[in-house]
Amino acid sequence: MTPALPDILRGNFLSLAVPAPPESQGEFMTGRIGVIALLSLLAAQEVERGHPARAWENDAIAAVLAEAAEVYGAQYADAADIVAADLSLETLDRANAALRRALIALHEAVEAARDLPRHRAIVALYGEMAEARRLDLPPLPAR
Amino acid sequence: MSGSLAQRLEAYLTDLWGAPTTVANLSRISGGASRETYRLDAETGGVTHGMILRRDPTGSLIDTDRRLEFLAYRTVHGHVPVPQAIALEQDGGALERPFFLMERIDGGVVASPFTFDPYGAHAEALGERFFTILGQLAALDHEGTPIREAAALPVAGDCWRIALDHWAGVIEADEQHPQPIVRAAIRHLRRNPPPPAQRVALVHGDYRTGNFMHDGAGRILAVLDWEMVHLGDPIEDLGWAFDPLWNHFDETRVGGMIPQERAIAIWEAASGLRVDPTALAWWSLFNAVKGQAIWTSAAKEYRDGGFTDPILAISGWYTARRHDQILAERLADLAAFGEGF
Repeated sequence: MTPALPDILRGNFLSLAVPAPPESQGEFMTGRIGVIALLSLLAAQEVERGHPARAWENDAIAAVLAEAAEVYGAQYADAADIVAADLSLETLDRANAALRRALIALHEAVEAARDLPRHRAIVALYGEMAEARRLDLPPLPAR
Repeated sequence: MSGSLAQRLEAYLTDLWGAPTTVANLSRISGGASRETYRLDAETGGVTHGMILRRDPTGSLIDTDRRLEFLAYRTVHGHVPVPQAIALEQDGGALERPFFLMERIDGGVVASPFTFDPYGAHAEALGERFFTILGQLAALDHEGTPIREAAALPVAGDCWRIALDHWAGVIEADEQHPQPIVRAAIRHLRRNPPPPAQRVALVHGDYRTGNFMHDGAGRILAVLDWEMVHLGDPIEDLGWAFDPLWNHFDETRVGGMIPQERAIAIWEAASGLRVDPTALAWWSLFNAVKGQAIWTSAAKEYRDGGFTDPILAISGWYTARRHDQILAERLADLAAFGEGF
């Protein structure tokens, strides 16, 4: 997924470390620091949930692909066998990208076949994926 | 090009006005996602002009046409509360990049989309005005206006296709990680087109809370950020204004201001048009796709720009995931009833 957590944290460093021109200090920089603070808060959530969410999503997509293979073709069984070689973010994301591409292809085939039960199952999976990846922004007080 | 931005502005304005001009209080401010925005005071002949500079950035959240934005201000001025457009420089030589200048409206507040209840006791008054203005924009006769010099005029039945093709193309071009949810939504939209636009209207393109300035007492001073303006189906703006991303954590009021039914009634009265529920449902799902396209571009620009713009980071990360939730909920509602399948 992009941006990944290391991108965000490196970006926060660069945003603060690179000197701003005089006209970009003051109000603009104050707003920028507020956004960096929010990003740091969300980064804490991603540290806690990011790895389990990716691992869960990869397994969940693989299960849907494997289950559909008998009807929709062996290519989905092959895709379901994609496993991340280790638990690094980069490796999990690489496997996730391949699994997601296969899921997109399967969903298109399901729609073409007008297979409503499987369409519903895939859409339900989308809801779970979005929920697992969610970031919670606290309601900030208006100024 | 040498000299500070202030010095270059002084030289430009001196040439523009044909009189010595000094620039003071030049300060970058937040405003719009695709242009650098600056506040400044330009003094010439003993008169001080409060101005806003909008300059193309080196990288941006969305690639938009500054001429269209400039002409939009010219078109709606006098009909919708907006600052007056002053000058447009498309070659950008004077300030290194293309830019335009407009008058500054002081004394207002712009709510952040991430705040809770930003309008307080004035939410209802602002909501009524907000949707009245949007209805008036939908009713505006754009024939012969400045915007028609540059904006393509679609036929009513093509508005949806042009909009969807554009934003689906943005996702195709900028996606860095496969996005099954938004792609399912795009396919649903293509299978189930909306009715033709009742009229082809001026569409703001980013009409939402956070893009208007109010006086803190229930009055809207200016509608801002016309960078995605185009001619199209006016229900597009309504769907964007209703998106849950802009509800300020309040699921009972659109934009954190008034209930959706009330907003529709106000918009219908001001526009003279009707809101077809089928059209609104289509444009609401479309707007979540459009949002996801914008956030997809933001993530790409964040990477391409060396991870230095935190606005692009939060757009490409938090809002992208929020829109995945919104899209998934809408797709689940449609799937439950087998709608459009």
